Amino acid sequence: MSSIITQLEQAKSLAFSNKSTFPQVLSQVLKLSTNPDIEVQKWCAKFFKDSFTSSNDVLGITDKIDLAIDALDSLLFLLEVKNLEIFKDSVETAIVVYKLVFKYVVENDGCKDVWVKLNQIIQNLLSKYKSSFPLDHIDEESDLRRAIDCKIELMKFIVLVIDYGSPNQPQSNSNGNGKKKLVIRNQFNLDDVPSNHTLIIPSVLEKQSYNHLDVILSVFNQDILVTPLITASLSHLSVIVSKKSSHFISKILNTLESYDTQRKNQSNYETVEEFKLSRKYIDRSLKVFFSYVLRNQLAPTPQMSQWINKKLNLLISRGDEIRKKNILAPSSQDSNIKKRKFEGGFVNVSKKLKTADYKNLYSLQDPSNELNNFDLTTLPQHILISMTLNSLNKVSVERLTKALNIIVDRYKNTLNDPKFQRQAAKKGGDNWIKNEYGDENDEDDDDDDEDDDDADREGSNEDDYSETVFTLPPPKELSFEEKKSHVNIIIKNFFRLSEKPVNDGGANVDPIAESDKTGVDSELTRIAIKSWKKDSWLILLTRLATRGMRGVDGDEEGGDFKQNENISNIIRKALFDHFLDNIHSRIDLIIEWLSEEWYSEKVFNEDKLIEELREKHSNDEAKVQQELSQATIPTPLYNDWTGKVLDAMIPFLEPNDRKIFIRLLSDLPYLNGELVDRIKSLCFDPVRSKIGFLSLQFLIMYRPPVKDACIGILEELSKSDQEDLREESEKLLKKYKPETVA
Amino acid sequence: MVEKIEDSLKICTVCASNNNRSMESHKQLRDAGFDVQSFGTGSAVRLPGPSIDKPNVYEFGTPYEEIYQDLTSQDCRKMYESNGLIHMIDRNRHIKKAPEKWHENVYAGKFDLVITCEERCFDSVLDDLMVRMVSNPIADNEVRKAVHVINVDIKDDNENAIIGGRGILKLVKMIHEFRREEMKRLKEVNGDKYVGEHDIILEDNIMKILVNWQKDHTHLQTLYGVSYY
Repeated sequence: MSSIITQLEQAKSLAFSNKSTFPQVLSQVLKLSTNPDIEVQKWCAKFFKDSFTSSNDVLGITDKIDLAIDALDSLLFLLEVKNLEIFKDSVETAIVVYKLVFKYVVENDGCKDVWVKLNQIIQNLLSKYKSSFPLDHIDEESDLRRAIDCKIELMKFIVLVIDYGSPNQPQSNSNGNGKKKLVIRNQFNLDDVPSNHTLIIPSVLEKQSYNHLDVILSVFNQDILVTPLITASLSHLSVIVSKKSSHFISKILNTLESYDTQRKNQSNYETVEEFKLSRKYIDRSLKVFFSYVLRNQLAPTPQMSQWINKKLNLLISRGDEIRKKNILAPSSQDSNIKKRKFEGGFVNVSKKLKTADYKNLYSLQDPSNELNNFDLTTLPQHILISMTLNSLNKVSVERLTKALNIIVDRYKNTLNDPKFQRQAAKKGGDNWIKNEYGDENDEDDDDDDEDDDDADREGSNEDDYSETVFTLPPPKELSFEEKKSHVNIIIKNFFRLSEKPVNDGGANVDPIAESDKTGVDSELTRIAIKSWKKDSWLILLTRLATRGMRGVDGDEEGGDFKQNENISNIIRKALFDHFLDNIHSRIDLIIEWLSEEWYSEKVFNEDKLIEELREKHSNDEAKVQQELSQATIPTPLYNDWTGKVLDAMIPFLEPNDRKIFIRLLSDLPYLNGELVDRIKSLCFDPVRSKIGFLSLQFLIMYRPPVKDACIGILEELSKSDQEDLREESEKLLKKYKPETVA
Repeated sequence: MVEKIEDSLKICTVCASNNNRSMESHKQLRDAGFDVQSFGTGSAVRLPGPSIDKPNVYEFGTPYEEIYQDLTSQDCRKMYESNGLIHMIDRNRHIKKAPEKWHENVYAGKFDLVITCEERCFDSVLDDLMVRMVSNPIADNEVRKAVHVINVDIKDDNENAIIGGRGILKLVKMIHEFRREEMKRLKEVNGDKYVGEHDIILEDNIMKILVNWQKDHTHLQTLYGVSYY
């Protein structure tokens, strides 16, 4: 304990044991309250509270009033200190001081200074009720739900101000129904203020009080439920509806008439269970409040009594309904619960770490969220990389900055916290945040003549951390063999991934819509994979083979191009083999791959052709386009691999594979005579000739570009020495090219 | 002798007659070292009698000892023994002198936490606190005190009173631990370093505590509200 506090303690015990010295001690301590030491401020705030709330035998009432006036400045100061204990103690002091000073002003007209200061305190505290003071502002929603203990204290002050600032209703002696009448006893009545008072003008005060009531009622207009605050408000409102005039009561009841917990939203900072319990709790407190109003006949009009009755019945039946079930169990009505729109804060914005490890340093989620326990290291590194890149693509700069600032603050706080420094020294484990700066600082202290650069970087204080630039060493160029082995690892990982179950929950709905708002170029957000699905690996792998390996410079003769093509073929071969392992269930996969193959090759070759044509026609765009429209864009790679697929597949087709084969033929992006020619072998096989002819017929009907090629095959077959072949092909020819048969 | 918890909240338990449910949890909380008292919200102390329409009725304030003597002297003594009534009163007379009425408990001081054992009692306590705020003006040097009122609905029989009492003890421990942690952390940090924290203030977290407790006690339904004295 510091010496000043020891002295203060001595003074305190002197004051509390001797009534005559108390005023002197208190007025001395009042001067100390602005001491910059927070411990002294804390002590003072507590002492003021204890002094003013002490009985009049300990500190006389006349002295208390004088001291209350003297305390106004100290109070104004302490009420601005961002400290929970100081604030709560000071609000309690403010309540007593307000009562004493108000009465003093009533009896001592003309003390304008005192009156102004008292009103300053009122304004000051009213504004704090709407904030999260003394806690930091985070976002509106979070502010509503924090520092509730302070708000519960503040409410007492505000209701007191409303009570003193408005006249009490005269009471009738009987309420007519013979029931026990509510006994109302007042501390003070505005009507007792002399009518010619120059400072306290009842009509002005009453109007102000009427407006202050809005502050208390604001909690009912919020779209979320802050249960402790709402139930506390209802308790306090009972005082106002019992004592005040009908326009005060009407204001309260009108607010409550439109209030319904079923129409409120779940806060982002609470679980659905918490929300459901809140609704039940608040409904019950409302029920108690309405019963109180009805029983004491406080509703100003019969119409009001009527709707209160109705509402009361609704609340009672709702309560009965809930009692029958386990409220926490998920129910079908849970889907009606809407979450409040998240303003973009983070759930865990704490700037102090409880445990100094990297997990806590970077986590912005609710510490109780089970997702925190997921071990990301179980995922392959490349998935992590793609996840990270995707996230970075989507996140708004503003949000990321906000998040990083929280982490920077945590880092700084932890490094400066002697407790953690000691722990870190003891543990020294990998998971502990390394004191990269602090430790080296110590060395600098010993040796000031260190290398200049080092001194600049390490000797700087914490404010310069962000300026330190860290550069990764340049990557080493991989040899072709190394590339090949890496590609093989990548492929292996992809196939392993393809076997893993994936949750296709689809929680990730539309990241694009969100990022659009932040002004990010929409081109940046156009991505192939919005969320990881079961077949996402295929997209990545086929793109890697087709686009990822293609040289940007397009130098086809260079060694790089050939090497890359080589690597592409390794991937293609892998895909091809994967398909062969199970032709029947992987037909979709093969169609997707070949489509991508054809598309990227066509786009690439088209671009190349345009370049050449531009050169030829010296950039005459019209000529370029004209020639382009007549040109055929070759896709040799696609043709080659499609041929391989057909060659591999056809021998293994079973007679009942008709559907998948026609599906393949129908979905392949491009076919030519050479590819179609492979169907011929099917027709020769007596068991499967049906598939062959059916395919040809399908192609003639639905793929006109290869119609002629197919007819050609039929013509060839019609000259065959096998009779059934001849018969079948002539039948088809008759239908599709009658002139040849005739 | 039970070791008292120095920094205990000032707690009271409340049921209708201040005999079964509130007394069982009174006992359990007291045995755990908490600062606890108990009350009833009924108009009188009603205990089972020879038949359902003939209850034994006593004024609040009648010592348990007297009730005990009265019951043991009745003809139905055997029945009271077998239904546990005698055992209950016997337990009660070793805990405190007499059943006390909630509405007349100003002498007992103000509580931090009131735990009721029935929804009717919860309503009665909240309603009474409203009436008190209006009817009992406080002196200029006094400040009203906030009080947390929690209802844990317990069926009024021997077995359920014990189960409910255990549940209440667990809940009180959770709240107590949280508050102790809050005090510790407030002491640890100087100045404004804790600003921005979500999890230091009891009132900010009371709903979370109740949810967590409720998850393990789905058969004990709850209510909660804040009021003032």
